[in-house]
Amino acid sequence: MKEAARPAIVRSRGARVVAVVVLALAAFPFAVADPFYRQIVVMTLMYGALGAAWNLVGGFLGRVSFGHAVFLGLGAYTTLLLLHKLGLSPWLGIPAGGLIAAVSAFVVGRPTLRLTGHYFAMATIAVLAVAHVLMVNWSWAGGAVGLEAPIANSVWLLLFRSRAPYYWIAAVLALLTLWATYTLARSRAGYYWRAINGDEAAARSLGVPAERYKMLAFVMSAALTGIWGGFYAIYVGFVDPDSAFSLTLSIQIVLVAILGGVGTITGPWLGAALLVPLAEGMRVAMGGSGKGFDLLLYGLAIVLVSLFLPRGLIALRLRRGAAPG
Amino acid sequence: MKKLLAVLIACYALALTDLAAAADNVIRIGAIYPLSGALASTGSELKAAIELAADLINQTHPELKGVAIATGSGLAHLGGAKIEVVFADSQGKPEIGQAEAERLIDQEHVVALIGAYQSAVTKTTSRIAEQRGVPYLNPESSSPELTERGYKWFFRTTPNDETFIGNMMQFLDTLKSVPTKRIAVVYENTDFGVNTAKAVEKFAKQARREVVASIPYSAGTASVSSETQKLAASKPDVAIFASYTSDALLFVRTMREAAYAPPVFLANDAGFIDARFVSEVGPQVQGVLTRDVWANDLYTIKPVIKQLNDMFKARSGGKELNGNSARSLQGVLVLAEAIDRAGSTKPEAIRQALAAIDLSADQVVMPWAGVKFDASGQNERGQGLILQLVGSGYNTVWPERYKQRQDLPTVPFLAWKH
Amino acid sequence: MLEALATGLFNGLIYAAVAVGLALIWGITDVINFAHGDFLMLAMYVAYWLFTLGHVDPTLSAPVAACVLAFVGFFAYALIIRPLQRAPAMIVILATFGLGLVLRQLAFIAFSPDYRNLPDTWLSGSIRLGDISLGRPQVVTGVVALAMIGVLFKLVYRTRWGRALQAVAEDRLAASLVGIPSDRVNAQVWMLGSAAVGVTGALLTSFFYVFPSVGAVFGLLAFVAVAMGGFGALPGAFLSGVLIGIVEALTGYLVEPAYKTASIFLIFLLVLWYRPRGLFGRW
Repeated sequence: MKEAARPAIVRSRGARVVAVVVLALAAFPFAVADPFYRQIVVMTLMYGALGAAWNLVGGFLGRVSFGHAVFLGLGAYTTLLLLHKLGLSPWLGIPAGGLIAAVSAFVVGRPTLRLTGHYFAMATIAVLAVAHVLMVNWSWAGGAVGLEAPIANSVWLLLFRSRAPYYWIAAVLALLTLWATYTLARSRAGYYWRAINGDEAAARSLGVPAERYKMLAFVMSAALTGIWGGFYAIYVGFVDPDSAFSLTLSIQIVLVAILGGVGTITGPWLGAALLVPLAEGMRVAMGGSGKGFDLLLYGLAIVLVSLFLPRGLIALRLRRGAAPG
Repeated sequence: MKKLLAVLIACYALALTDLAAAADNVIRIGAIYPLSGALASTGSELKAAIELAADLINQTHPELKGVAIATGSGLAHLGGAKIEVVFADSQGKPEIGQAEAERLIDQEHVVALIGAYQSAVTKTTSRIAEQRGVPYLNPESSSPELTERGYKWFFRTTPNDETFIGNMMQFLDTLKSVPTKRIAVVYENTDFGVNTAKAVEKFAKQARREVVASIPYSAGTASVSSETQKLAASKPDVAIFASYTSDALLFVRTMREAAYAPPVFLANDAGFIDARFVSEVGPQVQGVLTRDVWANDLYTIKPVIKQLNDMFKARSGGKELNGNSARSLQGVLVLAEAIDRAGSTKPEAIRQALAAIDLSADQVVMPWAGVKFDASGQNERGQGLILQLVGSGYNTVWPERYKQRQDLPTVPFLAWKH
Repeated sequence: MLEALATGLFNGLIYAAVAVGLALIWGITDVINFAHGDFLMLAMYVAYWLFTLGHVDPTLSAPVAACVLAFVGFFAYALIIRPLQRAPAMIVILATFGLGLVLRQLAFIAFSPDYRNLPDTWLSGSIRLGDISLGRPQVVTGVVALAMIGVLFKLVYRTRWGRALQAVAEDRLAASLVGIPSDRVNAQVWMLGSAAVGVTGALLTSFFYVFPSVGAVFGLLAFVAVAMGGFGALPGAFLSGVLIGIVEALTGYLVEPAYKTASIFLIFLLVLWYRPRGLFGRW
């Protein structure tokens, strides 16, 4: 509804914005030498991308998933397992992670996508929880102890001693994610998704092959999330069930998307751009004292933003711009 | 001629800045601990202990005979430089700990890192240290794998689970009045618990004991009734627990209500030595045994133990030092000692000083034989103790030479026979 | 085996008690209250401090906790939920998550992260029935939970006010068109649901430890119970809670305690497979 009606001039403005962002991303590491800020940008890109991927299911399709971390975990574990057991480079491992995530989405999607609203949300949590327990008890895959990536400095292994290369990898993956979500949203799939989101029964009666397209959203979302899971694995260099299959992480992804503006292309990126630096900043400023003020302020910030910007950060742009609400 | 002058001036300027830095005379160490989240209560104790250690180093404490570095003010070989500890909250998460490690190195310019209590966080934070070539001292994590990674910059003062469980078996060997053949291990399904269980399997076999039940559970679970029932059904002679405070509290409660207790109730540290555990359920669980690394009743052998405990109590609102906090304190002292001996804040110099350090029993505050790191970075001279909860605190019952009260240990565990 | 089932049953009643308040709020006002676990935590602290400072037994402080939580619920509704009525449904999720975090951190700052445990109270000890030994606090809490659920059931399904609740739950607009003050009803539901959590929290303190993040331990199970039972169906949440307790106990006894959580969620998914609206869900 929103995107299709936009006039051509706005579309090219969007393209210009993207170009500016790309230039900024490219110039940033040369302008700002401090690795800490670079790390924040990497995290922002990651969460933005995860939010954008989630958005395919949560925003466009309208099904809130609280279990998306399961795809991240699958991607991360696949990448590290392939590296450990088969010596396979993450160049292949990361896409493999995306693939495994997509396949599992296909398997899991069958029974869950029939569910509506709150039931779907809870079912995704259930899937995540089951996966978590399975990974904890699967000692071949590391079990509770987890898996560590070896320390290396090789392009072949995509493992580096310095953080700088990861910035570029993240930037490329982020652009890839943006391109993927943009294309999907504007394609027929996106059109069908919005129809299904509006009124599934009506859409079906109009001939929308709902089942197929719901599954497509789920699978694509999972694939993208899985790829980022692979990135997480090589970036942090360590996965264990608690960090990779984490409900908290799932919720963070949802928060980022909601805060930015559900169902929009740029929303999740904006949400990440606010939430990630906010969390990091608070922690750095106050976390070391151990008094708990940093998280308190973070929580307050979330509450206040949701009260004053109920449509998300994207509402700020919409208000100023000419687009219809 | 002018060029030469310019070069001379530049060198002089450089030297001056170096001097200026030294004149600032503050050496920063980064400390990464769970200051929020489920382990925050332990994290805050460790922070207090580390702050105490920094105070010992920086201020003169002539009354502390057993702590060489405390008698002076600051680090002698670095012009009396003071140690400043910069704390970071890992929130109990490996990826956050890692980000904080990076920040401490890059922004706060720490010369070394200590941390992180939890093995998973230690893994990711020490990885950064290894990648950047920054010395990392691990005072408390007991997972054996941490020193099996082939890292050059990682040093661990605490003994690991292999030593500890070995100690437990040796202790069990001394119990003659009750059978100790059948062992059950109840452990949380995390790195800590799994490593305890693995070590128990390994050492039980060596000690010709049988593991009759291996019961993992999810940390922070709402109910441990099934686990307790399973434990009771396996009829062990000895039950070894690897639990943090919350689950320790819950297990005690549940076992009391089920009117079940293993004849030898032996804990692997962690939650069972938490000050809160002792104060809140101590009266109900008299007679529980635990592996620990520190015991406040050892002051007759090492007077500095009481002195430090009193100082800690003053800082922490009445809490006593325990194996966790004492190890953190010792870790800082060792690190500071190494920096002092290196006489420099260059990472490689500190690393070499750590690798070469050789402290004997009376140069450390822990009841250990000293500190000397082997090739993998593990301290070879540490050891564990076995304590028993009698009255309001833990008493040493093993090794025998440290035992204060000869009537201990009392077995079997009878705190709640109905 | 019998002991496993018995403990499972009573644990289940406790989960049901935690779930019931959530079922009311979620079912009738259609809000996923992410702060529900933290409401429970607040109630537990109320009972803890009343005992530690005033020697008031948790059974007696339950009504006090209920009142305190009713206030908390009211303010949560008035300050956060009501202003977001016209906003996209998802933003409320964000808001309640933030609220939960704020409550948790306030508890952290005010009470320190230390674990607190009540020593023996009136309810301590065990009850022996033949071979089976059950914790007395659990049994009493279970019985009280049963009574509380009975009362709520009566309120929601047998009184005029209850019918108003159901009307608002089904169609808020239509309900207000026929003169039901849906805003006031929503506030009342929040207060009632929170009070229910208050009672449960106070009783929980007699056998469970308290610390700022204790909400997470029971919170997730409550969510599963409500979803499994079906939205808009109070008895469903109750039965699901009990079912969860029993499944948990049986898995622990017959299979492996390590898989307890997995089997709970698997059963949940199974229920949804056959009944996409939960056991008794109406929407």
